[in-house]
Amino acid sequence: MKRITVLPILALAAALSAQPPTTSWPTYHGDNTGRRFSPLTQINDKNVSELAPAWNFRTGVGGGLKSTPLMIDGVLYFTAPDHVWAVDARTGKQIWHKAFETKGGWHIGNRGGAIMGNWIFFLTPDCQIISLNIKDGSERWRKQNCDLDQFYYGSMAPMIVKNKVIAGVSGDDLDRPGYLSAYDPETGDLKWRWSVVPLKKGDPGSETWPNEEAMRHGGGMTWQMPTYDPDLNLIYITTGNPQPVIAHANRKGDNLFTGCVVALNADTGKMVWYFQASPHDTHDWDSTQVPVLIDGQIDGRPRKLLALAARNGYYFLLDRTNGKNLVTAPYAGPNWAKGIRPNGTPEPDPAKMPQVDGALVTPNQGGATNWPPPTFSPLTGLFYVGTTRAFSVYYIFDPDLANPQGWGGTDRGGATLSSSVEAIDYKTGKIRWSHKWETPGGRSGLMSTAGNLVFTGDNSSNLVALNATTGAPLWHSKLTSPVSNGPISYELDGKQYVVVGAGDTLWSFTTGK
Amino acid sequence: MRILWVCLAAAALACAQEPASVFQNVCGKCHPPEAVVTPRARAQWQETITKMIGLGAKVSPDEQTILLDYLTATYGPTAAGGRGGRGGRGGRGGGPTLNGAPLDRHVVDPEGANRGRTVWVAECIECHGTSARGTEKGKNLIQSDMVLHDRYGSTLGPFLAKGHPMMSGRKSSSLTQMQVADLSHFIHERVYDTLRGSPIFQPGQIVTGNAKAGEAWFNGAGKCSTCHSPTGDLKGIGGRYDPATLQGRFLFPRGGRGRGGKQMTLTITPPNGPAVTGVPVVFDDFDVSVRDDKGEVHAFTRSPQLKVVRNDPFAVHDQLLDVYTDKNMHDMLAYLVTLK
Repeated sequence: MKRITVLPILALAAALSAQPPTTSWPTYHGDNTGRRFSPLTQINDKNVSELAPAWNFRTGVGGGLKSTPLMIDGVLYFTAPDHVWAVDARTGKQIWHKAFETKGGWHIGNRGGAIMGNWIFFLTPDCQIISLNIKDGSERWRKQNCDLDQFYYGSMAPMIVKNKVIAGVSGDDLDRPGYLSAYDPETGDLKWRWSVVPLKKGDPGSETWPNEEAMRHGGGMTWQMPTYDPDLNLIYITTGNPQPVIAHANRKGDNLFTGCVVALNADTGKMVWYFQASPHDTHDWDSTQVPVLIDGQIDGRPRKLLALAARNGYYFLLDRTNGKNLVTAPYAGPNWAKGIRPNGTPEPDPAKMPQVDGALVTPNQGGATNWPPPTFSPLTGLFYVGTTRAFSVYYIFDPDLANPQGWGGTDRGGATLSSSVEAIDYKTGKIRWSHKWETPGGRSGLMSTAGNLVFTGDNSSNLVALNATTGAPLWHSKLTSPVSNGPISYELDGKQYVVVGAGDTLWSFTTGK
Repeated sequence: MRILWVCLAAAALACAQEPASVFQNVCGKCHPPEAVVTPRARAQWQETITKMIGLGAKVSPDEQTILLDYLTATYGPTAAGGRGGRGGRGGRGGGPTLNGAPLDRHVVDPEGANRGRTVWVAECIECHGTSARGTEKGKNLIQSDMVLHDRYGSTLGPFLAKGHPMMSGRKSSSLTQMQVADLSHFIHERVYDTLRGSPIFQPGQIVTGNAKAGEAWFNGAGKCSTCHSPTGDLKGIGGRYDPATLQGRFLFPRGGRGRGGKQMTLTITPPNGPAVTGVPVVFDDFDVSVRDDKGEVHAFTRSPQLKVVRNDPFAVHDQLLDVYTDKNMHDMLAYLVTLK
């Protein structure tokens, strides 16, 4: 078998030095940077028309396969709520499958597992973190990651950082505090836990809450997969919306550290810096999008950067050593901010916060983008993000205007004006190209490759390859459902594969060379 | 009674007995039906039936099966009816959103909650407030871990048994088991009221604008009168929809497709052939197909030579979304609700 040539990514790569792996896809993001960039070039803009299905694997579990598979040693490992599969990456044949009885929790989706050595770790909707043997799926240990009675649940893919398993929590129906935990991979013992919200007066951020009761019930769930810079030893976690979600009279202030990107020391779980993308969020936007790590050049100097296209419609570029904002730029026409603060955080317009008689707001609750992962190509210098432009009306429902609880309102109605892939110049936040889908509505993850391609899905259930430089659609394959996760790519036996989830089916493509 | 009698007569035919009658005949010998206020999961109901048989209840194996099904369906954790039963996502009926809840959650018995309200008003309301959200004198019970862990008084009961001040001056330990269960129903009902989809999860007074200003905008800057008329297509619209629905319909009419008759269509012109117009069936970067007004589908592969034109009656409404101020929106609603 001929080895696949791999383009050296020397132009930008510095401290994230190691190339992303090519013969495996070992983590949710493919590596720790969140770039979802494959250096493989066997499938490229010249020959992508030859790309064809190799096999598909149907799980039979509904709800959309939101899990990013991990590919290690020729085996794909992926999840759905209460389910884990190991499937032969060459043939699509099942090696093992484990189904778990549930005690409840929201079965909205499961983003995948994390693998360290012989062990896979994953979260269940009923608040457990479970470790299985990757050879046969046999269970090693399980621990309680959250309390189901408080309406927490598990959906995110854990992350391995050095000798710890990092796991977050989901759930914003009741007013509970969010947190991020680090577990011992051998025993499941808790090593550290970082609370997103301050728990008592005097704690950092407590000055942005009116009182202890508000902050202790202030939300901030941790359901997006973090990224990690080994040189700085920093974990980057993005945090969810504050509580109560929509009605907000009893939580005056910025509500730190909800709606933020936060850098945590990987050994201690202590916060090193934060940047708030959505202060005093009242639109359920979270800020739980992927914090993408870029080693780039600004003003001719190499910089360690972090890029975030937030659900609130703004793109942010930060210095990831200290959280200092370099760029704040709208990418989806948001109308909720009345300006940008000197530190780069948008200033919410009180008139666009939910009202009893309604406020017309864009983005809608679904957001300018959402959890499906964006991608960054160091070859094009473009940050690609699946984008929706939609309006809706935000209402306060809770008759207790002074002391709302839970959601206390929601948005209603709505019009999706467009769905697109936006290619953003990472240095300036300016949109280099925009590819609008003819039929709006879908939300699929993205992956870029050194073959000058961006893979994603449209709303007509096509897996699509776009030219990464121009946005021109080059190839498609009609699947049975819209792409429901982020595509991945790897080399196996000298062949490059692209694997993607759509509905209850995992699809594998290759050029057959 | 007659059904049961007939069934006994035809026992060999495994006649389907009326479950409610079995319940009444078997359980009702000792328990008045209203005493069954504590929902239990299937396994727990099995335990209860076994326990009652141990205490001397006469129940045939067939009746056991019928009772187990009936009790689980009627008084199970997922039984419809009380809050905490089946819930759907969203805010329009279907009960509170319980997607995040445990399967063994407390299911509210509405009658129990009503009885609990009486106890609440007499003994608790002064400190814990009308909706159990607390006051300066007492805790917010909606946010209490003890309440969230409670099932039918399982943690509330032991807490109250220890003694807790009550408005009447009585000891909380004097509350009967039934009163504790009722209080538990009442408090859980208040918790579920905070969830999406609860009965209080509805728009309030949203008609706040100035109808005259709305009319002026309709005929002026908004240019609505270019296509619409209060005596034509909009005649009586204020009487056809509740205000929140009406607001949604004038802002986002695309969602009303099919009802108003207007739809987006595509006109496709192939290089060598007649143009066809119809409602899109598939419309993406690679394929396009439309259903014409005879119901016939025309499918094409996209190419630079294939001309595709959108005929979108809603495009102007989409553009308005970037134009409306919130005042325009409120004034327009105030005007439209007057068109009775």
